[in-house]
Amino acid sequence: MNHGKQIALITDPTYLDHDTGGGEHPEVPERLQVITGQLLSGPLAGQIRQVAPRPASREELMLFHPESWLFRFEEAVLSGRTYIDHPDNQIGYESYQVAILSAGAGLTGIDLIEKEDHPASMITFCATRPPGHHAEPTRPFGFCFFNNCVLAARYWQQQYGRRRICVLDFDAHHGNGIQTAFEEDAEVLYVSIHEHPSFSYPGTGWAEERGLGPGKGTLLNIPLPPGSRDDQVLEALDGMVFPHVRDFAPEAMVIAAGFDAHLEDDMSGLAYSTALYGRIGRRLAAWSESFCPGRLLHILEGGYHLPVLGDCVETYLKGLAGHES
Amino acid sequence: MFIADSMTPEPVTVSADISIADAASLLERHHFRHLPVVDQENRLLGMVTDRDLRSASPSTMLDQDTRDQVLARVGSATVGEIMSTDFVSLSPDSTLDDALLLFKTRAIGALPVLDRQGRVVGIFSLNDMMAAYRRLFGLGEKGSVLIAIEEQSGQPPLGDLVHALEEENILFTRLLRTPAQDSEAGMIYLRVNTMNIRRAHRVIEKAGFQIHIPHSSGKRSSQSR
Repeated sequence: MNHGKQIALITDPTYLDHDTGGGEHPEVPERLQVITGQLLSGPLAGQIRQVAPRPASREELMLFHPESWLFRFEEAVLSGRTYIDHPDNQIGYESYQVAILSAGAGLTGIDLIEKEDHPASMITFCATRPPGHHAEPTRPFGFCFFNNCVLAARYWQQQYGRRRICVLDFDAHHGNGIQTAFEEDAEVLYVSIHEHPSFSYPGTGWAEERGLGPGKGTLLNIPLPPGSRDDQVLEALDGMVFPHVRDFAPEAMVIAAGFDAHLEDDMSGLAYSTALYGRIGRRLAAWSESFCPGRLLHILEGGYHLPVLGDCVETYLKGLAGHES
Repeated sequence: MFIADSMTPEPVTVSADISIADAASLLERHHFRHLPVVDQENRLLGMVTDRDLRSASPSTMLDQDTRDQVLARVGSATVGEIMSTDFVSLSPDSTLDDALLLFKTRAIGALPVLDRQGRVVGIFSLNDMMAAYRRLFGLGEKGSVLIAIEEQSGQPPLGDLVHALEEENILFTRLLRTPAQDSEAGMIYLRVNTMNIRRAHRVIEKAGFQIHIPHSSGKRSSQSR
């Protein structure tokens, strides 16, 4: 294994400007500070190259979000509102611009991968906020405003002709917005491992949903009961996810990397260890090597327990880089 | 709550004089299994199900001659001859409870809904009932989470819970209380609309209620940290 993989860390201090109002809102700027702080002072520091994201263009945002939502979002921000539709979706004056830059991180990563001579020797991780996987075309949900992963997948298809995309989501919560985007799409496989919707936000992601119409068979929801640990995740990855991904044969993979299923993170009832994220990383690296060498993009979703979040991300990246532990 | 809100209105009906074959193809075309048979004023005369229609067809065990004879006879038979006139029905003002009990005692899959004059205004199937209960409990509503609370002796009045949630602007859409039974503890089920589950738990615990963590959970409640 090559431990010397370069890590492109796509992030920007501007991401700290999305103000969720203080109080008890868990989606705070400190999330990114603990991640970058840990990565830049830890054993991976020498391999990390920080890359500034570009903002997503209006046309790129409209690959999933109609203009009506862009107007509504911008207007809410400019008129000084503190949230949109639900107190979960806190906004400040900067939030619209920050969200556009957050959506741009994935696009920047894809450009980087496609222009790199040896993309397989690089890991591309977007440490970004606000997160995206709950965002619906015209509605924010669960701290999310633009669906960063959906936009990345669509961009990959449009800009580089990589038609078959696998979006894999290991955040504790089901990515309802990603399912909405690709439910009827045969060219995008969406796989989500999440806490069972009877117990968990957003109450979607049932196992029997396997895609609609032409998209039948390209949706895989794996709900886990509260309390599920590493074993259940690895069993699901090896027993169910891998055969699906193999049969689908993706040309590129977008990973919705959420770390809120950790035992210490009380935003979910799942009980993953920090080490699990390394084991997930090792698998994803191996899978992409077989199916789409180098075309593997990671976008941060959840992860709210600050004392472990940096460790979790670092362990994940170590796994991707082929470190043993 | 009321059947009028959950039934399929203006269902396909047939007159008693159409043939069994025509009724069968109608059911097949529309993918349903129950057909109200009505008179000219749309008053219900009887019900025909796909099972009735199948039973009226000749058995595949018969030899070909006998089959043909039966087929000829069945081909000219009308639904009026095989419909069940011993039907039970609902009115638009009936409740989901009425339907649930009828489905259970009569083991049927759909009930006709009649107005005061006995005219068919709708049909209410088991599927309609599942959809109605799904709506009632908010199952699948995007952005919601079910929280279970285990009732404790000496716990504060339920009003305190509601008050605390409203005070903290934690939106909830369902509140259900089930009494203790035998060895099962009493429970309170809340469907809250927030991703900030951590905050919801804290508010509930602060109000003096105990979150029920499923027994398989490896996590502790936020209070015990």
